[in-house]
Order: sequence, then C-alpha cells, then structure tokens
Amino acid sequence: MNSQHSSSDAAQGASGLATQWTKALWLVWILFLLAGIVGVILRLTHGHNAAGYGSYVTWGLWIGVYFLGVGISGGSFILGSLGYLFEIDGFSRPSDLRLAIVLSLAGLLPAFLGVWLDLGRMDRLMNILIHSSFTSMMAFNAWMYNIFLIVAALCWLLSFKQKSSWLKPLLTLGMLFSILFPSQSGVFFEAVRTNEFWRSPLLSMLFFVSAITLGSASLLFVRAAIAPRTASRTDQSHLDSALRVLRAVTVIGLIIYVVFEFAEFSITFWNPGALSPNTDYLLFGGYWPVFWILHIGVGVIAPSILLAMKSRGGWVFASLLATIGFGAARLCVLVPGQVIGQIPGLAQAFQDPRLSYDYHITSMEYLVALMMIAVGMTIFYVGVKLSQLVESRL
Amino acid sequence: MKKVSEIMDRREFIRAGGLVGVGAAAAGAAILKDRGELASKDPTGEKTVRNLTAMKNLKTQPSEDDHIRMQRELAAAMSKPVEKRRWIMVIDLRKCVGCQACTIGCVAENKLPPGVVYRPVVQTEIGEFPNVRLNFLPRPCMHCENPSCVPVCPVKATWKRPDGVVVIDYDRCIGCRYCLNACPYGARTSDFGRYYTSNEAQGAPEGKERPIYGSPAPWEGLPSNEYGKSWNRKDHGSPVGNARKCHFCLHRLENGLLPMCVSTCIGRATYFGDSNDTESLVVEKVTRNNVQTLLPHWDNKPKCYYIV
Ligand code: SF4
Ligand code: SF4
Repeated sequence: MNSQHSSSDAAQGASGLATQWTKALWLVWILFLLAGIVGVILRLTHGHNAAGYGSYVTWGLWIGVYFLGVGISGGSFILGSLGYLFEIDGFSRPSDLRLAIVLSLAGLLPAFLGVWLDLGRMDRLMNILIHSSFTSMMAFNAWMYNIFLIVAALCWLLSFKQKSSWLKPLLTLGMLFSILFPSQSGVFFEAVRTNEFWRSPLLSMLFFVSAITLGSASLLFVRAAIAPRTASRTDQSHLDSALRVLRAVTVIGLIIYVVFEFAEFSITFWNPGALSPNTDYLLFGGYWPVFWILHIGVGVIAPSILLAMKSRGGWVFASLLATIGFGAARLCVLVPGQVIGQIPGLAQAFQDPRLSYDYHITSMEYLVALMMIAVGMTIFYVGVKLSQLVESRL
Repeated sequence: MKKVSEIMDRREFIRAGGLVGVGAAAAGAAILKDRGELASKDPTGEKTVRNLTAMKNLKTQPSEDDHIRMQRELAAAMSKPVEKRRWIMVIDLRKCVGCQACTIGCVAENKLPPGVVYRPVVQTEIGEFPNVRLNFLPRPCMHCENPSCVPVCPVKATWKRPDGVVVIDYDRCIGCRYCLNACPYGARTSDFGRYYTSNEAQGAPEGKERPIYGSPAPWEGLPSNEYGKSWNRKDHGSPVGNARKCHFCLHRLENGLLPMCVSTCIGRATYFGDSNDTESLVVEKVTRNNVQTLLPHWDNKPKCYYIV
C-alpha cells in the first residue's frame, strides 16, 4: 500500500517537476538564442578581433564548450546503448535508446558550430575531410565524428523497427566511437608533445570518465526534467529505475574524475619541484577560482551533496551543476596549458593584443557559446518531437 | 539485466565484430599511410636548379664582407637541386645590439599585418644594478629537423621541404591554430585580418588624404610575395585567417637574395647558408664557435643556431 502511494506521489511530483523545468527551459532557450544571434553576428562582422584568444593562447571558450559537447555526446550514447543492449531497468525500451541518441546528437552538432566559428578560414572547413592528415588527432576526430553521426542516425532509424538484426551491431560500432572520441579528445592535447602540462596519459582517462559522467548527468537531466509527462505506474517505476542508475553513475563518475585529478596534481605537494608554472597557475594562480570554485565547488561538491539527497528536483539541479563544472574542468585543461610561454619575454618582444599569454573570455565568446547551447537545445527538441511523431505513426 | 551471451544472436554478433574490425582496420591503415607520407612531395632534381647570375662576375676577395660571401655561397647552393641544399641560420648573440632592424625588415618584406611577426627580438634583463645587462635573442622559425608543428596539421597544409625549410600552404590552411600550439618557440602567428591603419581616421586631418574610417591605407593592401606567389589579402584573401611564419624568405633565395633579416642586420649578427657546403661561412661559424639551440629537450632539432 505504502509503496503504491509513494510511487503515485512520485509520479505526480515528476510530472510537476517536468512542467516547471520545461517552462524555464523555453525561456532559457529564447534568451540564449537571441544572445547567440548577436554573438554570431559579431563574430561574422568583426572576425576574431572581438575574441580574447590570439596567437599565443590560440584556443578559448568555444574549444572548451566543444569538448564538453563531445563528452555529452559520447557518454549519453554509451550509456543509452549499454542500457538497451543489457536491458537494464529504465533503459530497455527503444524510446529510451532514442532519447539517448537524440541527446548524443544534440551534444555533438553544436560542438561543430563552435569549431567552425573558431577557424581562421571558415570557408575551408571541408578541407579537414578532403585533405585529411591522419597524423593529426584533429583530422582523425573529424572523421570519427562524421562516421559516428551516420551510425547514430542509423541506430535511431532502426530503433523504430520491431526487429532489426543491424541495430545491435551498429550500436556496438557506435559505442566504439563513443569510447574513442571522448578519450581521443584527451589525446588531442597529449599529442602536442612540446607541452609539458598536456603531456599526461591521464588526460585521455580524464576525458573518458568525464564523458561518461556528463552523459549520465545530462540523461538524468532530460529524463527527470523534460522527457516524462507520464502518470502510469509502470512508466513511473521505469523512470525511477533509470534515475537511480544515472544518479549512481554520475556520483561515481565525479568521484573517479577527482581521484584521477588528484593523482595528477598530488605529486606537486610531495615534490614541490614538480610544480610546473602551468599547474601553479591553475591551482594557486590566476585560474584558482575556475578550478576550486567552479570545477570543484560547483561541479563536484555541490552536485554530490544534492545527489545524496532524496529530492528529485535536487538531482536535476545537480546534473546541471555537474555539467557546468565539467565546462570549467575543460577550461582548466585548455587555458593553463597555453598561458605559459616557453621563451621568456616573447610577449613583450613584439607587442600586440593578439600576442599575449593572458586570456580573458570576451562577451562575444560568451554570446557564441550561448548560441552553441541554444542550437543543442533546438536539436534535442526537434529530435524528441520527431521521435514522438514517428512513434505515433507506427 | 541480460547475460552477455544473451545480448546478441550469432548473426548480430558476427556483424558487430565485422563492423568493429573493419572500422579499426581502416583507422589503423589511415594512420600508417599518413605516417609514411610525412616526407614532402615538393619537386626535386634538375628542375629545381637555379642558374643565378647575380654574383658571377665578382671575384672572391680575401677580406670580403660576410654578406658578399654569403650571397656568393647562396648562388652556388641554388645551382644544386633542392634536395642537395640544407639551409641553416646562425645568429651571433654577442653581436646582436637589439636594434630590431631584422624584425622590421621582415615585416616590410613580407607585408605583415598587426599581430603577425616572424622574427621578434626577445629582450631580457640579467642581474641587478650596477651589474646588469640586456640580452637580445632574435627568434625566427627554427626550421626544425623534427618539427612538432607539422604532424598536428589536420589538412597537410604545412610540411618540411627537401631543403629543410618548413613551409605553409596558404591556400589549404584552415586556420585551426593547432600548429601554433605545437610550436614551443611561438614561431607561428595567426593572421587575424587586421590592418595597422584601419583606425587611422580617428583624429586624422580633414582633406583628400584622410583615410576612410575602417578602411586601411592602400599600401597595406599590397600583395606579399611569400613562397614566390602574389598574395592579395583584400576581401579576406589568404593569408588572412592562416597560420604564418618565417620561411627563410624562400622567394628571395630563388632570386639569389639573402633572407631580409640577414640583409638588414646592422650588427652582422645573422648568418645564413647551406650546411651541406662544408666550406660555407655558416658551417665555419657553427663549427668554430660555441653554439646552442633553443629548448633542445623537445628534440625538435632546430636549424637555427645561436653563438653564445
Ligand atoms: S620553430 Fe616552430 S614553427 Fe618553426 S619548424 Fe620548429 S616547431 Fe615548426
Ligand atoms: S593553422 Fe593551418 S597550417 Fe596550422 S595546423 Fe591548422 S591548418 Fe595546419
């Protein structure tokens, strides 16, 4: 009796929660889209001159958001596919798989937008596929993303079929890509062999763990806040199971990420000589607020506490905070790796705003990043609606 | 939850294995193929020989100026096929006075816009007053034997020529700036399409000569001759948006001229020549002096040597 009661309460609670979040998300989407349009116009009319990056700090916020999107994409695909293949409670329905695939695409496509706007020659984007050099992680990743997009789209289509002997093999291939491209995002940095800060094999592990955690957090968000409007008990217990799994994966992922990070940085506590200027800048220098407040405080501690509680609204909020925290974590890899020049005095030798080792994100960069998020939200919405439309016609 | 053996039937399992296997094999093959292709595809052999007449009638003098000697040696090197030359630069830090004539000479020669510099002179102060001195370090591209900038380029837009010069194809470069990040010397800069004079109208006198606000003075639109081509940067033409760097003034070498920074160096501190010519001034400088390279621990094997 009791459990039935609480289950129906939860159902109503989830439905109410979904409505609240949906309204808020519409507002956020409109604001982000409008701001993003301004950003893109500024980017296209002023070129890169309204950006904070230059020739010494060559990549900024957009590349951080790009790797965030790649993480969400890989992680949600792996979790959705594993859950579907192993028929884990809460993930076994084709609609669960479709939601994960749509989320995966909504993470990846806006990432492309950021990279495209970051190029000096946007008109030559296709060179990366036409003249690819596979000695470069960038070209390798570009191919992986594109093949993955096709595989993911096929999986989405096949998931509508009653029985397809190609769905599971394609999901397996898609999972291979989703393991590869987030972890290879770490190698993207490691491959710069002349950068001491980036030359750590742990980076690929950090990127992979963050992908799983990001995938889990964003699936938790969409499933708890947006997707369900159901009141039926079976649906509700199905959702409950999914949220339980995602909550656990998110917490475990966050813990593993900081353990790896601790392994990376703790050496400097016992061997102060190993404290490179980059690590010093990250932990105790100009980047400490991003690391300690945004990444550790907002991105790890706060969501862990919220996820330990029973409130479902808290979990939704936690998943948002974890995602923001991983955004900060991306910048903690990207920026400190670029702000320390190896030739002392180089920035003073020929002075120009683009020849500086300081990096401050400009308003144009923030606005374009909002556009990336708005595009992701649009793709997600269209994907979900399209899935529902096809489902209703079958 | 299902057991692993229950996830797929036999046919699905074979298909999954096949897809993963084909994917992995294709990726491996692509990487191996491009690793093998790192060597340049530039033309070699007789068609690269240049018969330069510039120094032909000038006899060797016992105490001739270093520049005359280097120019003569340059013409001799150009008379060999490209793969037989190996250009190097030697900078005598004891003679550099930090005048930056090389920096400016290079800016003028290559029509460099703001924020693009191929050869800055880095100035560092050593010691404390009264025991203090300034050190000057001109920093061109090192034209590394093992360049870290080349393999990261996703579109094969940068490579090492047979004569050792690391070049960029402005027509192919997408401006991703990966190579800028990979160069530990900060030798590559991005052309963000700016002009020195585009804001000049602010406060400029009225009249016919007044530049239109936002439009650069006409001289800034003059094409550069890098890599022996004419690059017109108007209307976002390359090299706007590209990575740029020192190319040892290849377009000047082709015409028997020394790189601009060598010609403009008022302290005669910069030397340039073919290291395959064992009689050359650069080989003499490298072998008879205490030379060092920058950041040798990265194993880039720079071809720019500093006499200290
Ligand atoms: S100095 Fe830098 S840009 Fe020049 S070849 Fe070496 S790594 Fe490449
Ligand atoms: S900026 Fe140009 S040359 Fe450099 S890595 Fe990118 S495409 Fe290659």
